[in-house]
Amino acid sequence: MRQLWFWCALLAITLVVALFSGTVPVPLIDAFNAQAPHFEIIWQLRWPRALNAMMVGSCLAVAGLLIQNLVKNPLADPYLLGISGGAATVQLLVIVLAVGLSPTSLFLSGFIGSLVATALLFKLSFQGQLRPDKITLNGVVLAFGFAAIISFVLATASGQQIKSMMFWLMGDLSFAEPNALMPIIMTALLLLLYRHHRALDILARGNLFAIKSGVDAHRINLMVFIITALLTSMAVAQAGTIGFVGLIIPHLVRLMCGYQHRHLIPMCVLVGATFLLAADTLARTVMSPMQLPVGIFTALIGVPVFLWLNRKV
Amino acid sequence: MLQVENLTLYQDHSKVLSGLDVTFSPGEFWAIIGANGVGKSTLLQTLAGIHPNYQGNIRVDDHLLQDLDPLSRARRMGFLFQEQEASLAVSVREAVGMGRFPWRTSKSQDQSITTAALERCLITHLAERSILKLSGGERRKVEIATCLAQQSRYLLLDEPLNHLDLVYRHHILKVFESLSQKHAVVMVCHDLEAVRSHCSHVLMLFGNNCYLSGTSATMLTAENKQRLFNESSREL
Repeated sequence: MRQLWFWCALLAITLVVALFSGTVPVPLIDAFNAQAPHFEIIWQLRWPRALNAMMVGSCLAVAGLLIQNLVKNPLADPYLLGISGGAATVQLLVIVLAVGLSPTSLFLSGFIGSLVATALLFKLSFQGQLRPDKITLNGVVLAFGFAAIISFVLATASGQQIKSMMFWLMGDLSFAEPNALMPIIMTALLLLLYRHHRALDILARGNLFAIKSGVDAHRINLMVFIITALLTSMAVAQAGTIGFVGLIIPHLVRLMCGYQHRHLIPMCVLVGATFLLAADTLARTVMSPMQLPVGIFTALIGVPVFLWLNRKV
Repeated sequence: MLQVENLTLYQDHSKVLSGLDVTFSPGEFWAIIGANGVGKSTLLQTLAGIHPNYQGNIRVDDHLLQDLDPLSRARRMGFLFQEQEASLAVSVREAVGMGRFPWRTSKSQDQSITTAALERCLITHLAERSILKLSGGERRKVEIATCLAQQSRYLLLDEPLNHLDLVYRHHILKVFESLSQKHAVVMVCHDLEAVRSHCSHVLMLFGNNCYLSGTSATMLTAENKQRLFNESSREL
């Protein structure tokens, strides 16, 4: 509980820093004065981007928590479902064909791509019931398939297109426009998930153990699969494939607060949001005015922090 | 009553047992005896609802097993796995508390039932320890305590005595015996001496779809033991 408040505070501080740092230095007071010259920079540019970073971070962290629980594999991350591959494939095709490079078209194409990829994986891993043991291998193999298509597109694209594609593949929040639906869907999914926190605790100890304990394992696994797919699809559609958040944050949170999902779910939301917001702020400011893909920083911060924490335990 | 009627079991599409009729009632302490691979575990898992591949009827208190939703099934059927791997750093108290899942009882009630189960299994001193840091025998005690916390009317125990030392075996058999006054306890067991001194009924599985059941006094005859021994040694 104390950790929850600590991370709330840390998220708030990170948010303030994110809003007031950047290429243009902005004095604090400007945020509250509509006539101030930088009022719009804060509320029209930085706030929406920060909001996106937080939501994407939360989505990926919770999705990672869920998929690790579902397939009982600590190396699993949200992209295991082939979601990123499916999303990126469709998005790159849209960039190549230049059907219209608006944030909306990127979001929609990414969302559609990831849902198609998920549906494919579901079809392959469903034999009368969802088979979590099949998901891992099918997902990894599907991801290789998508990677091949992506490589093909990259190899044949023109120089200018390649740069924006690379940004997308490394994860990038600069395209994203705030999407009014995303916070609503996210909240609804998280609340639904939270209702089943005890069943998730028991499922973490094995499917058969869960069934004998009275958990409707097939239904909960199915729900977990769908929620993971939706959360990841939204994140990918919004910001490309940001690596590392979904893999590392759930482990970090488990090291901090144990295994119970009534703590894990809210903590993943908070830590994921804080982590990605911090990484994105660095990506904007370290080499400003040049902007770097946020994916670089999630790994650069995440690797040493995680290795240090894992040594301590 | 837990009634098994004309039950046929499959393991990966091959028949392991067929035409089994037996009734387990509260007040009885059953032992299932038989050679390795004869279908004892498959039978228990089927009764527990985690092995859906069967033909015939399983009636639990006049409901068909497959008609029970997972929660009401778990309130009736408690199951102890023969082996259960521990993969999560859950504390012993939390692990045993998971047995309370099927009951929508208050938190304080869950806690007192969990505490009672810990005491009954003599593991109160381990309560705050992580299950990953336990020995094989200690972990077995935790699994048994989890089953007790579940308070189901039918207790299905797959080789509950595994990993337990002699003194604790005696203690836990006494616990099962006293539980069987209100509940039906069914355990798979290879220790005929323990069966003779604690169980009221015996189901013997001989393979080739032969089985016998009855009170332990009538079942544990020299003839039956010899037959059991022959079945077991045939494989060798």
